[in-house]
Amino acid sequence: MDYHNSGNQVESNKRIRVAVVGQPNVGKSTLFNVLTNNKVHVANWPGVTVEKHYGTRRYRDREIEFVDLPGIYGFSSLTLEERIARSYILSGEPDVLLVLVDSLNPERTMYLAVQALELTPNTILVFTKADATHARGIHINYEKLQRKLGVPVVSVSAATGQGIEELLDLIVASAEKEEKKEPIRIDYHELNPYIESIEKILSRYAEVLKYPIRWIAVRLLEGDHELEDYIRKQAGEEVLDEVASIRREAATVLKRDPVEIASIRRFEFISSILGEVVVKTELKHVPVSRLTRLFYNPVIGSLLGIAILALIFTIVFMVNTGFPLNALFEALGYSELATLVEEYSLSGILDYALNELGNVVYDAMGDTMLAHLVVDGILGGVGAVLVFLPLIAIVSLALALLEDSGIAPRIAVGVHNLLAKIGVSGHAVFPITLGLGCNVPAILSTRGLPDPRERLRLILTLPFIPCQARLVVLLALASAFSRYSGGLLLLSGYLISFFVFASVNRVLYEIDRRKGRAITPEMLLEIPPIHRPIPRVIWWLTWNSTKHFLVKAGVIIFSLSIVAWTATSYTFSLTYTSDPSESIAAAIARSFAPLLSPIDLPSTTAWIVSLALIAGFIAKEIIISTLLIATGADSVRNAIELIWLSDAQIASIAMFTVLYVPCLATLAVIHSETKSLKYTLLAVLLMMVIGYASMVVTYWIASAIM
Amino acid sequence: MLGYPNRGGRVTTTLEELANGRKAKIVRVAGGRGLIYRLYQMGLTPGTEVEVLSNYGRGPIVIRVMGTEVAIGRGVARKILVEPLPE
Repeated sequence: MDYHNSGNQVESNKRIRVAVVGQPNVGKSTLFNVLTNNKVHVANWPGVTVEKHYGTRRYRDREIEFVDLPGIYGFSSLTLEERIARSYILSGEPDVLLVLVDSLNPERTMYLAVQALELTPNTILVFTKADATHARGIHINYEKLQRKLGVPVVSVSAATGQGIEELLDLIVASAEKEEKKEPIRIDYHELNPYIESIEKILSRYAEVLKYPIRWIAVRLLEGDHELEDYIRKQAGEEVLDEVASIRREAATVLKRDPVEIASIRRFEFISSILGEVVVKTELKHVPVSRLTRLFYNPVIGSLLGIAILALIFTIVFMVNTGFPLNALFEALGYSELATLVEEYSLSGILDYALNELGNVVYDAMGDTMLAHLVVDGILGGVGAVLVFLPLIAIVSLALALLEDSGIAPRIAVGVHNLLAKIGVSGHAVFPITLGLGCNVPAILSTRGLPDPRERLRLILTLPFIPCQARLVVLLALASAFSRYSGGLLLLSGYLISFFVFASVNRVLYEIDRRKGRAITPEMLLEIPPIHRPIPRVIWWLTWNSTKHFLVKAGVIIFSLSIVAWTATSYTFSLTYTSDPSESIAAAIARSFAPLLSPIDLPSTTAWIVSLALIAGFIAKEIIISTLLIATGADSVRNAIELIWLSDAQIASIAMFTVLYVPCLATLAVIHSETKSLKYTLLAVLLMMVIGYASMVVTYWIASAIM
Repeated sequence: MLGYPNRGGRVTTTLEELANGRKAKIVRVAGGRGLIYRLYQMGLTPGTEVEVLSNYGRGPIVIRVMGTEVAIGRGVARKILVEPLPE
C-alpha cells in the first residue's frame, strides 16, 4: 500500500482537523510549534483547567487545524489528561490522529501508539528526532513498519524540518481517503477467550455503542471506570455485571491481574514488530550523561540544583532592580556606581520613561482631572504590568532553557530530599522558583504535580514566596532606613518568608498526614537525555508563559489600578479631589488605622500607612505610589520622613508587606485553580494572620534592639 | 540485602534494596491501580529488565528502563518487587 501519492488526487477546500498526541519528552511541543508555524492559540478543555493548544496552517488549499492533546503515557482514563485525550479522539471530531513516537526510544514510546491504533485506524505514526537517530546508531525501516501496522509512518525532525512536508501530504491524503479501515488487533494470548466473550455480549448493543467493540472489550477487562459508566448508561447494569464476572474469572484462572497481562502483551507486540524494523549499532559512549548523574546524589544534587537556580535569580534580580549588585557596591563604598546600577536596571529605566511620559501628558493636557486619570490611573496601571513583563520573560526564558535541555528534571531529583522535609516533592521546585518572579505563573505551574493534596498545600503557601513586586517594595522601604543598612532588611525579608513558607507547608503536611490524606512526597519522573536546547522551542515556551502572565495578571492589575485611582481621587459625595486625605480611600483607611496601633504609628499619619497597605492588597507595587500620592513626596525616603516612621516601624511594615496577600491577581488564580471559595479565603486568612503577627513581633524585637 | 526465596527458589527483593549499578528483572508491582497503570505505561512491566543508575540510600532512585532514565521515589520503589540478575 502506498500512502504517499493519493494526496494530489482530490482537490477540495475543506478544513482538516488533526489531533496530536504523544508521551512526555517525545518532542511534541517542538513539532506542534513547527506544524502550526508558531501561531498557537490557548484555550481550556471544556470544564477543566487543562490547557488546550491549537493552531491552523494552510497547505495545498486546505485549512489544517492542529489540536495538541496533553502529554500522556497511555489511554487508561486514570488521569484527567488521559480522559481528555481519549474522549477527544473518540468524539469523532479529529479527521486524523498523529501519534508521536521517539525514534531514539521507540520501544517505550510506541506503547501509546499501539493503544491509539486499537482506538482508531485514522492514525499516522510520526517518528520524531529523525536528525539524531544516525548519530545514536539507530536505523529504522519505516516502510516495513508501515506495511506491518497498516497505517502511514513518517519520520520527521522539527529541528531540521526534515519530513514535515511529507507529513502534511500524508495528513491530507489520510483525511480525504474514502476506504474504511479497522483498528489493529493485538494478540493478547491467554486473554483472548475473555476478550471474545465480552465482545460477544457487547455486540448485542452494537448500535448504541459508538466506540470500537473490541477496544471496549479489552478496556473493560482491564477495569476502566469511565467505560464502565458508559456501558451502564448505554447497555444497562446487567451487562456490566456479566462483564465483571468474566473479569473475575480471568483473574482467578490466570492468577494475574488482566491489566498486567494486557500491558505485557502490548509491549511484546511492540518488540516483535520493532525487532524486524529497527537495527541498533553499538552506542557511542556519551561522557555528558555520567557528569549529569551528579544531580542524582542527594548532597551534591541539592547543592547543584540550588546553585543553578540561585545563579539565575541573581541575574534576574540584577537586571530588574540592580540588587544585589547595588548593595555590593554600596557596601564597598562605591555609592555612585550603586546608583548607576539602579538607574540602569529595568525598573529604573521604566520608572524614568513613565515619569517622562507623565510630564508630557501634563504639559499637553494641563493639571486636569483627565490628565490625572491618564497619568496616575492608566499609565500607573500599564506601568505596573510593564514592570513585570521583562522580568517574567527572563525567568520564563531561564526556565525554558532548563526544561528543554533536560536539566530541569535533574534539578527536581536533586532537591527532592530537601523538599520532602517540608512535605512536598522535588516536582515543587519549579513553582517555588517561578514564585520568586511572580506568584501567578507559580500557582498555575502546580498543575504538573501528580499528588492533588500536595498541589493544594502548595497553592495555599506559594504566596509566601516573595515575588518581584515585593522585592520592589522592600528595596524602596530599605532605602528609607535611617540608622541601619537596608541590606539587612532585604536579607531578613527573604529569610523570614522562606521560613514561613517552609513551616506552613510542614504544618499543613502534618495536618494532612494525621487525617490520612497525605502520602509521603513521591517522585515518578522520566528524565530525558541532556541535549542542546532548540531556539524555536525556547522562544515558544518563553512567549507562552509570558503571554499567560500578561493576560491573567495584566487585565486584573490594570483594571484595579483604575479602581484604586478612583477611590483615592473622589470624595464620598463623588466630587473629584486632588487631596487624597479627603478621598473615599482615606476615609476607609482611617477606619482601619486602629489595627496598626501595636506598632505605635503617629496618630495623624497612621491612615496613610493604612491606606498604602489596603492598596497593596490590589498589587504590592501600588504601596509605593500610594505613599507618594498621599504624602505628596517625590521619593519613598522623603515620604517616610513625612510620616515620621522609625527604622523599627519600617521593618515591621516591610514584614507585613512581604507576607500578606501578594495581589488580587494571585487570589483570583488561587480561586480559579482550587475552584473553591473556602480555600481562597483560607489562603487570605493564613496570610493576613501570619503577616500581622510577624509585623507586631518584628516591631517588638526591632524596637528592643535598635 | 533483604531477600526471601520464592517458590521457584529465586530470590526476590524490592527495587529500593538494589545497589548502584545492579540489574534486575521486575517480578511484580504492588500498589494502587493508578500507580500500577502508570508504572506499566512507563515500561515497568513484570519481566522487564531494569538497571539501577543511582541509589544513595536516600532520595529518589534513578533507574534505566527500556532505554529511558526514570527517577522513582523510595516509597514507590519499595512496591516494585524485582529479581536481581547476576552481576
